[in-house]
Amino acid sequence: MIPFEQLLVQAINGIVTGMILALVASGLTLIFGIMDVVNFAHGDLFMLGAYVGTTVFVTTGNFWLALLGACVTMAALGAALQITTLRPLLGRDPLTTILATFGISLVLQNYALWQYGPVPRKIMEPLTGHFQLFHIEYPWYRLLIAMLSAVIIGGLWLFMKYGTYGIWIRATTQDRLMASAMGIPVPRVHTGVFAIGAAMAAASGVLFAPLVGVNHAMGFDFTLRAFVVVVVGGMGNLGGSILASIFLSLLEAFASLWVSPAQAVIVSFIVLILTLLFRPTGLFVPTPK
Amino acid sequence: MLSLQDVHTYYGKSHVLHGVSLEVGPGEVVGLLGRNGVGKSTTLKTVMGLVRAADGRVVFDGRDLTGLAPHHVARLGIAWVPEDRRIFRLLTVMENLRTGLDRQGVTEPRRRELLDKVYASFPVLRERRHQAGGTLSGGEQQMLAIARAMTLEPKIILLDEPTEGLMPRMVAQIREIIDVLRRDGLAILLVEQNVPLTLEVCARVYIMEKGQVRYRGPAGELRANETIIHQYLGVSA
Repeated sequence: MIPFEQLLVQAINGIVTGMILALVASGLTLIFGIMDVVNFAHGDLFMLGAYVGTTVFVTTGNFWLALLGACVTMAALGAALQITTLRPLLGRDPLTTILATFGISLVLQNYALWQYGPVPRKIMEPLTGHFQLFHIEYPWYRLLIAMLSAVIIGGLWLFMKYGTYGIWIRATTQDRLMASAMGIPVPRVHTGVFAIGAAMAAASGVLFAPLVGVNHAMGFDFTLRAFVVVVVGGMGNLGGSILASIFLSLLEAFASLWVSPAQAVIVSFIVLILTLLFRPTGLFVPTPK
Repeated sequence: MLSLQDVHTYYGKSHVLHGVSLEVGPGEVVGLLGRNGVGKSTTLKTVMGLVRAADGRVVFDGRDLTGLAPHHVARLGIAWVPEDRRIFRLLTVMENLRTGLDRQGVTEPRRRELLDKVYASFPVLRERRHQAGGTLSGGEQQMLAIARAMTLEPKIILLDEPTEGLMPRMVAQIREIIDVLRRDGLAILLVEQNVPLTLEVCARVYIMEKGQVRYRGPAGELRANETIIHQYLGVSA
């Protein structure tokens, strides 16, 4: 029998990882929903965001400036990438955009390797204390990550629900042609969404950096998991992705009570396969009539 | 005000519009009749820039629209009410209206005024303002589509089969709203299958066949001439 404390610790771990995963996945699903673009470079925006964070951190010594700087820089880079690479491909075969974003991914990864070298870098967490959680010392920073992610996601939700730009994004996601006929500047909305997605990836990269260290391949693992989450939550469904992030992270956290954490990942893939078999539109979407 | 000059449009390789020319003056209500698939809806989409004209010109207020993106066309004062309504189904009624209201240059008082006007024309939309567009009935969705177009304060509305599939009571209501829009000085290019209604509300009528305009004339002339109606539309008025 597993002691109750251990279950609680794993539940907290699951929620913390789930929140950061939700931050990565919501950018990915937002971009897919509006442009039908599967963005294979998302993990590299996450990685490059973390690197930009280290640069700002080394210069200023301030974690919050690093977070802000990474978001702004990556939003600008995201907008530039969208305009130069994806805008010309709009309406073409999805395969072309997959190849394009895959190409961006390779370029960004090798740029990071060339610019920053193979030795991992670290950002110091802004909050170093621990608190007593039963028999273990639990770092405050992990809770801070979960809360900051929740704040950013909550902000995105309010923006999407009430803001004019949010309504434009939702209208364009539902019917691109009608949105443009209503005077909504659809190409600008696409660029904006890509920039928002890139900024969110960067934010998660910086938040996660103190836990693992920054290297040029750190995006890969996260993209993979974010893709699982986005499919399980329903492609393009923001709320579904957030729920799926927390759901899968909790499952993995509990599974690692019995098996090693590396093996616990298998649980997510089993859920992915079951979802694709029985509810291909996602766990959290009503099955279309 | 709006004029199409020898417009040719293709969908892929199929040639849909074979040189369409027509005109709508300021404040004029003009009908565009024809059987299914003769290119009436495509004509409207070409004006909006949703389909690119391969040849010919679309001119609005002296400005060439050919090649302009749809959102620029909309901002010049042309609103489109599509045949299938194309309500943003997951957006509430209010949010649907906000797609047109939240524009640059619309002051808060003006915005409220526009909203009041729309709600005065369609009281049911005020009741349902927090409901998702997709949950409205067919007639209510048609009203929302017209209301949404009105929020753009257009000079002309392109109305594509607004009475299709509606109950007689709803048809009467749509008819009334066309009258209201006309009294407000809006021009309307009305695509319809309902010949009696078209002849009643329009001053002039065009009839299309196989991607071309085959007949043009005042509605009164057409009303008096059953043969033409029968020849091009296969129905009697």
